[in-house]
Order: sequence, then C-alpha cells, then structure tokens
Amino acid sequence: MGQLVRLGNAAGAAAIAVILLIAFGLQFGLKELPCPLCNLQRAAFVLCGFGFLLNLRFGIQPLHYGLTLLGALFGLVASGFQALLYIAPGTAAHGAPVLGLHLYTWSLLLSFAVIAFVAVLMIFSGRPEHHNTDHQTALRFRGVSRLAAYLLIAATLANAANSFLLCGPAECSDNPTSYWISKYLPS
Amino acid sequence: MTGLIFLAAAIAMMTALAGYRGVAIGLFGVSAVAAVLWLDRYMTEPLKLSF
Repeated sequence: MGQLVRLGNAAGAAAIAVILLIAFGLQFGLKELPCPLCNLQRAAFVLCGFGFLLNLRFGIQPLHYGLTLLGALFGLVASGFQALLYIAPGTAAHGAPVLGLHLYTWSLLLSFAVIAFVAVLMIFSGRPEHHNTDHQTALRFRGVSRLAAYLLIAATLANAANSFLLCGPAECSDNPTSYWISKYLPS
Repeated sequence: MTGLIFLAAAIAMMTALAGYRGVAIGLFGVSAVAAVLWLDRYMTEPLKLSF
C-alpha cells in the first residue's frame, strides 16, 4: 500500500505540473495574458504541489498533506472569488471558455479535486513514516518520484519568469494587455 | 510580486530536495503568507450577487 500511496503523490505532483503547463499552453495558444487573480490561482497549485513533493522526498506525513490542503484552500478562495465576480447573468466573463468552462471555474473544480485526492491518499496512507531515516527516504526518492519533482520545480520556475516578464517587480494591472518587459525591448 | 511568490516556492522545493525540510517549510510559509496578502490586495471589487 505504501508504494501505491507514493505513486499517488508522484501522480499528484506531476498532475500539478501538467496543470501549470496547460495554463501556459493556453496563455500562448489563445494569446490571453493571465490576470493577477489567475496568477494567484497558479500559485495556489504550486503550493499544493509542495506538499506532494515533501511526501516524495521525506516520506508520507500528515504535515505534508496539511500543506497541500492549505494550498488547495487558497486556490478555492482565489478561484471562488473570481467565479463569483462574473456569476451574475449578463456580466462579462474574463477570458475565453475552455471545454465550456472558464479557467477560474476549472481552477475551482481542480482545487476541490485536490482536496478529494488528498483525502483518498490520507485514507490509504496508514501510519506516518516518522521512523524512516532521511537516508532511507532519500534512497526511495528516485525514478518517477524524482521526475515528477523536477517537472514541478521546472513549471514553478517557468511561472516565476513568466510573472516577472508580465508584471515586473511591482503590481500587475488588473487586465494586462502586454508584457511589462515589452516596454524595455526595441520594437 | 507574484513572480517573487513563485520564486520563493521554487527555492523552497529545491531546498526540500537538498534535504533541509525545516528551511523548506519556512520558505513555503513565507510564499503562502505573501500569496494570501497579495490576494487580499486584489479582492477589492464588490461582488454583484443580487440580480
């Protein structure tokens, strides 16, 4: 069962990375720049992924699941607020729908999915792996687990670069129409 | 600012991979608190919930 739970955590970390990469794909594919709330929803997914990564590196522990749940709750608040902004009939929505739903609605649903997924993982986790030494847990951190962790870190760093290029070091406009860095590039 | 939140989270992840769990969780806390404060800054628009 332990192996299955570890695989579940690797799948969770990889899924978070894939969500972030899909958001990138839509940003460049649809040529829609992410709003500040959209960026914060991406940050929420990164925070969720951190708990999965800790489980892969240090062994399964409730503290790590708690961090993932905090990230998911943050995502629920950010995406829920944005969904409520446009919930009234006739209110203009932000961005184009993808498969019938706007990205903030997808974000809301995925945050619920993360909470449900963590609940299932916790049910099957059994006792925490406090008894393992760091050397033991480090030895098991290889293969799919390592790949998922690296993918998540790469997606997070890409988001850091993207946010900086879009907003610069300070505040982002509510509805960005161009990258902050484009002001400093020769046209 | 959001870029810094992502950067702090990425550094937290890399610190975790290096084996420093306490430092990693501390950095996670910093990025999470910054994200909450930044969200609060953008939650200014009133909701139009009655129609």
